[in-house]
Amino acid sequence: MPTSFSSDRTMTQTLLLLAGFALLIGISVGTLLLVDRAAEDSRSVAHTLRVQAMMSNVLLNMRRAESGQRGYLFTNATRYLDDYNAAGPAAEEQLRLLREQTSDNPRRKSELDSVERTMNRKFAEMDRSIELGKAGRSDDARDFVLGDRGRELMSDLRQQIEKAIEDEGRLLAARSEASQHTNRLLLFLSIAGAALIIAVGGIAVMLMRRNIADREAARQELAVTNANLERIVEFRTADLVEANEEIQRFAYIVSHDLRSPLVNIMGFTSELEALRKDIFEEIGKLRAHLDELNAHAAAQATPVDTLGRDFDEAVSFIKTSIAKMDRLINAVLKLSREGRRQFNPETIDMNEMLGSIGETVAHRAAEQEATVTIDDLPAVESDRLAIEQIFSNLIDNALKYGRPGEPVKIEVTGHANAAYVAFDVTDNGRGIDPRDHQRVFELFRRSGVQDRPGEGIGLAHVRALVRRMGGTLKLKSELGKGSTFTVTLPRRWSDQTRSVA
Amino acid sequence: MNSKMSQEPVEIIMIEDDEGHARLIEKNIRRAGVNNRITPFTNGTDAIAFLFGPDGSAVANKNKPLLILLDLNLPDMTGVDILGRVKSNEHLKRIPVVVLTTTDDATEIQRCYDLGCNVYITKPVDYENFANAIRQLGLFFSVIQVPTAN
Repeated sequence: MPTSFSSDRTMTQTLLLLAGFALLIGISVGTLLLVDRAAEDSRSVAHTLRVQAMMSNVLLNMRRAESGQRGYLFTNATRYLDDYNAAGPAAEEQLRLLREQTSDNPRRKSELDSVERTMNRKFAEMDRSIELGKAGRSDDARDFVLGDRGRELMSDLRQQIEKAIEDEGRLLAARSEASQHTNRLLLFLSIAGAALIIAVGGIAVMLMRRNIADREAARQELAVTNANLERIVEFRTADLVEANEEIQRFAYIVSHDLRSPLVNIMGFTSELEALRKDIFEEIGKLRAHLDELNAHAAAQATPVDTLGRDFDEAVSFIKTSIAKMDRLINAVLKLSREGRRQFNPETIDMNEMLGSIGETVAHRAAEQEATVTIDDLPAVESDRLAIEQIFSNLIDNALKYGRPGEPVKIEVTGHANAAYVAFDVTDNGRGIDPRDHQRVFELFRRSGVQDRPGEGIGLAHVRALVRRMGGTLKLKSELGKGSTFTVTLPRRWSDQTRSVA
Repeated sequence: MNSKMSQEPVEIIMIEDDEGHARLIEKNIRRAGVNNRITPFTNGTDAIAFLFGPDGSAVANKNKPLLILLDLNLPDMTGVDILGRVKSNEHLKRIPVVVLTTTDDATEIQRCYDLGCNVYITKPVDYENFANAIRQLGLFFSVIQVPTAN
């Protein structure tokens, strides 16, 4: 699973979430505004209705006043006059309120002005008729009323008010329309918002599910890869172990078969040596015989003992080489045999082991005035024979390669951690040239002055053993100062810790 | 050598693929003063054919006083096989077998003794040792009693 892919997806998800939030905020703000507008709308609708009601009230009070006037004129009863007197201020009061309510509408103001003018004229007309009535001039009053001026004024007033009411009605219709529009908008916004939120949520859920599915797939893939990897490692290890065993077998067979002809070469060389006496005796006799026949030829011939020396020299070279070859073959054999040997791990008291190795070399050490110091060493669980060979070889080397005129000092120290133990074998000997630090561990290779017997096997053997024990062998050395070989071994050896060396 | 117990002299069967080794062994046996007949075989098949006869029962060699010198490294089979077959045959199992080989592998030696090998000698490259061992073997031949069936 490419990481850019999943990061893209994370980005998308974050963006989606942000978009969802923005949408939610937008919808909330929009809703709030719309709700506010709806409230405003309904307030103005209520206002219109109130204004209409007031206008009707004005007309109603005017009619009350008129009916009071008429009743008085007709009956001369003062209670009608009371009605008339009450209705007048009520109508004016209503008009005043109306003015207050519609102060923001200049058209309404002019309308109300003309209504007021008509009202005042009507009141003047009614007052006049009542005055006539009070003065007892009933007939004059009746004629005044019959003059139809009051009726016309009332009709004007009614028309004016109705027109204003109608006008307010249109305003009401417009406001209702606006209110409905706002409500529709609100509904639409709510539905759209809900739909969008559901859509965003759905996409988010889908992405998340896909993410989870991807993650699951990746996890499974990883598990499969891990299992495969383990199998591959197993196969490789098995291959390496097999290859290693094959090399060991090969080394064994080759070295074994090489010895066979060597036995013959050595055997027949020795036979030749045995024949030498007879041959040279024969030659000696023939020479003597020849001398008698031809003194000159004998003088020119190589003396018999010179021939004998040459012969001996040749045979000696052959035998030395055979012996050397045999040692080399034996070394290969020994290494291959060590490589095939099964290890038997046991707990080894390293102090005891190094002590006994020290005793083995004590005689040689005393001759060289060498000292072997053994520190307190940690124990290790490993193969006894292998460990003994490792340290015997290292101490043997240290004793072997001292500096002339300087008594050899060997020191063995050790320390342990949780999984490994490390041992340092330090000497003050001739040291190893840095160029040869790798080479000295190779089979048949040696370093420095070749003044000591040896085939160059010891360190190769030690390294092979240490590797088989699952450890490492390190060298720190300075020419002319001394060397430190560090053997690091697992605390507990088991088949699993074995490294394929 | 003439064993007091057998009517005829002991015959030495030498199974050795390397003719040089065979010659050196023979020389040193002779030097030890052993003059018995030596029958050489250079491969396992011929040796088996001789020892077990055409029917494979070895009945023909039932009462013959034989001694086998056996090399473990043969071209057609391992000497260990021959040793095993000889030692598990009713008529041949009492024949002394001297294993002579270049292998000084401890487990191989052990295996040979387990199968009933009587003497195991490694052929050292050091000729003096080799000659010595063979001569010792010659002396050994002259004192051992090769059993007969009766």
